[in-house]
Amino acid sequence: MKSKSKPTLSVDRSYFNRPVFIAQLVSLLLIWFLVIGIALWIKNLISLSLDFKDAPGVSIAISIVAVPIFFTLASVLTYVFIGLHKEEKKRFDNSGEMEQ
Amino acid sequence: MPKWTMVIDLNKCTGCGACMSACKMENNVAIVEPDEARDGRIMFWMDMLDEHEGEYPDIKAKWIPKPCFHCDSPPCTRVCPVHATYINEEGLVGQIYSRCIGCRYCMAACPYTAKVFNWYEPQWDDNFKKCFNPDVSVRMKGVVEKCSFCSHRLIVVKENAAEEDREIADGEYTTACAECCPANAISFGDIENRESEVFKLSKSTRAYKMMEDLGTEPKVIYLSYRE
Amino acid sequence: METNYKNDIDAPLYKPIYETGKGFYVSVTILLAIVIWSAYMFFTQVAYGLGVTGMNQPVSWGFYIVNFVFFIGISHAGTLISAILRLSKAEWRRPITRMAEVITAIVLAIGGIHPIIDLGRPDRVLNVFTAGRLQSPLLWDVTSITAYFTASTVYLYLPMIPDIAKLRDKGGKLVWFYNFLSWGWHGSEKQRKTLNRAINILMVMVIPIAISVHTVISYIFSMTLQPGWHSTIFGPYFVVGAIFSGIAALLIVMIALRKVYHLENYLKEIHFKYLGTLLLIMSLLWFYFTFSEYLTGVFGNEPHEMDIIMYKFTGPYALFFWGMLVCNFIIPVVILSFKKFKKIPGILIASITVVIGMWLERLNIVVPSLANPRMNLPVGFYVPSLVEWSLFLGGIALFILGYILFSKFFPLISIWEIEEGREGVHEIKERIHSYMPDKNSD
Repeated sequence: MKSKSKPTLSVDRSYFNRPVFIAQLVSLLLIWFLVIGIALWIKNLISLSLDFKDAPGVSIAISIVAVPIFFTLASVLTYVFIGLHKEEKKRFDNSGEMEQ
Repeated sequence: MPKWTMVIDLNKCTGCGACMSACKMENNVAIVEPDEARDGRIMFWMDMLDEHEGEYPDIKAKWIPKPCFHCDSPPCTRVCPVHATYINEEGLVGQIYSRCIGCRYCMAACPYTAKVFNWYEPQWDDNFKKCFNPDVSVRMKGVVEKCSFCSHRLIVVKENAAEEDREIADGEYTTACAECCPANAISFGDIENRESEVFKLSKSTRAYKMMEDLGTEPKVIYLSYRE
Repeated sequence: METNYKNDIDAPLYKPIYETGKGFYVSVTILLAIVIWSAYMFFTQVAYGLGVTGMNQPVSWGFYIVNFVFFIGISHAGTLISAILRLSKAEWRRPITRMAEVITAIVLAIGGIHPIIDLGRPDRVLNVFTAGRLQSPLLWDVTSITAYFTASTVYLYLPMIPDIAKLRDKGGKLVWFYNFLSWGWHGSEKQRKTLNRAINILMVMVIPIAISVHTVISYIFSMTLQPGWHSTIFGPYFVVGAIFSGIAALLIVMIALRKVYHLENYLKEIHFKYLGTLLLIMSLLWFYFTFSEYLTGVFGNEPHEMDIIMYKFTGPYALFFWGMLVCNFIIPVVILSFKKFKKIPGILIASITVVIGMWLERLNIVVPSLANPRMNLPVGFYVPSLVEWSLFLGGIALFILGYILFSKFFPLISIWEIEEGREGVHEIKERIHSYMPDKNSD
């Protein structure tokens, strides 16, 4: 079986495209905003339940489970983002051409 | 802290339905069109259960007025997602119409089917609008409502008592249904007050509560020689 | 478009992205029309009130809640196939994972909207944020569905990155878009390691989140005191039912896409055979839970519970109840137990009946308990109205529409995972050797 074929088109492939990178960064920041927003919302609900003495233990227990999940998801995305771009930038700096 | 309780004497109740009408008038409860009512959209804060046993001519009929039981351990307040139904320190289970999002979870959770919903925007005839009770807010479509033990009357009574610097007397705060029952079957008062009528009635051997074993701790006591 | 995807060994997987036939435009138009019609129906509901539905007192929950549970149930397709099969290193999952993950993402969004459609005051939904109670099972739902939606979107996106990079490299349409989404991927060792590590974390994380989602949905019912609902079995029962309906929906999607996009070479008989076996197992498991539930009720003979059970066995819901048993148990077990029937047409029939049967199961859970209030109140009834049927159809149409649109921009089968599978035959051999006892060196 043939090994995977690489297309050889002459399309401009400047991987490190500044505007695109900024757009990606912005989208990642938006995701962090969402996650922090969710954490703030849950914190709001906890303080409400403390005010009303409405079984605050439940709210706190749920927040201990739920909020770390969102933070982990955002962190994984950030880890992938940084990991992929670090490697890519290094390669782009090393040689301006494409290589295997 | 008073604990507002209702006692309904089923052996005095004739099933006349005056309590149901009084409640609707007092609380500006929406009047529903006949075909809607037939489809299960009728709105009764004070409902009347009728149970018939036997065949004609030996029919035994039971008429049971059923308001909201204002449970001390309410299943409805536990499930509301927005604090729209809540229980206060005096034992009244309230409903915040302007916060209710109409999810109807409390309706599904109530084992006594005490809550009703505004399926459409309530409509009244112009003549009827003249009879609105100004002390009670008119609800909008899409919110849940239920018997409030005429708590608007409690506010007035408390204000009067505070002005005159005295305690609330037994029977001073009473619900519309208790006030207008022609057979005096419905009593209302503070069960924490040992001089009150409801306290004395609650000690009767005929006293029982509906489906007590569910653990809801309802605050409506029924008196009846038979279950 | 100047792109020579045709020379690629996986050309059929690129084809839907680069070529659009008439069928696409026709189906999108029809689906869009249905969606717009149901949006209009929803608008009438907002304008006039929930009275336009068939709900009443005592049956205050109807189609919207049934469909909510139904759609969220189907979302378990993604987790089972993707996460569990990836975790157990089952190589046959490779062509299926992406389709499953897409089902999850779309159907979660649609299912998540349903409680909002069901509200009497959808304009006040933000009260959940300003005045919410985390003590309410509905809010547990909001939290866990949000968590699952976020997790499964991330879990769909991360394994898509290498494929998006391929599309970027092909240089056809929307290169800027693929460039944006591919996050600078070019397949180096370090990048692969990073991505694999992230996917591994996600695949372990997503399983408990998914299980929690349907458990928490079941808690909406089981946390009330109502007979027929207040059952401890509901948590696992709903999860099993969700995985069951999820596999069936996945099979239907696979068979449909295989036909439409000519993926016969990728989705082979053996994939359907294996998934068919899983469907059979889930059918038996579902029946076990159902049997336990009803045996407990009938044996206990508690009057209120028996009212509801008889309403389902011999009363107005007899057709739906026994229909559910036929669709969920009898037909699938017969078809999937015999090699003769367990071919793609048979599996398609089994899957369709399972999806219908699981919808009936949700109906059988929601309505009978509400229709039989206690205290000798008259038995209720529920006849869904045009608005509710339209919104149901609209939900299905939105799902199909979302899927078709996805297939226009991204490959439906994970190209790089297929490549990895093709090239990793040696590693797989090594792995299997390592399971067997070691040979003596002399």
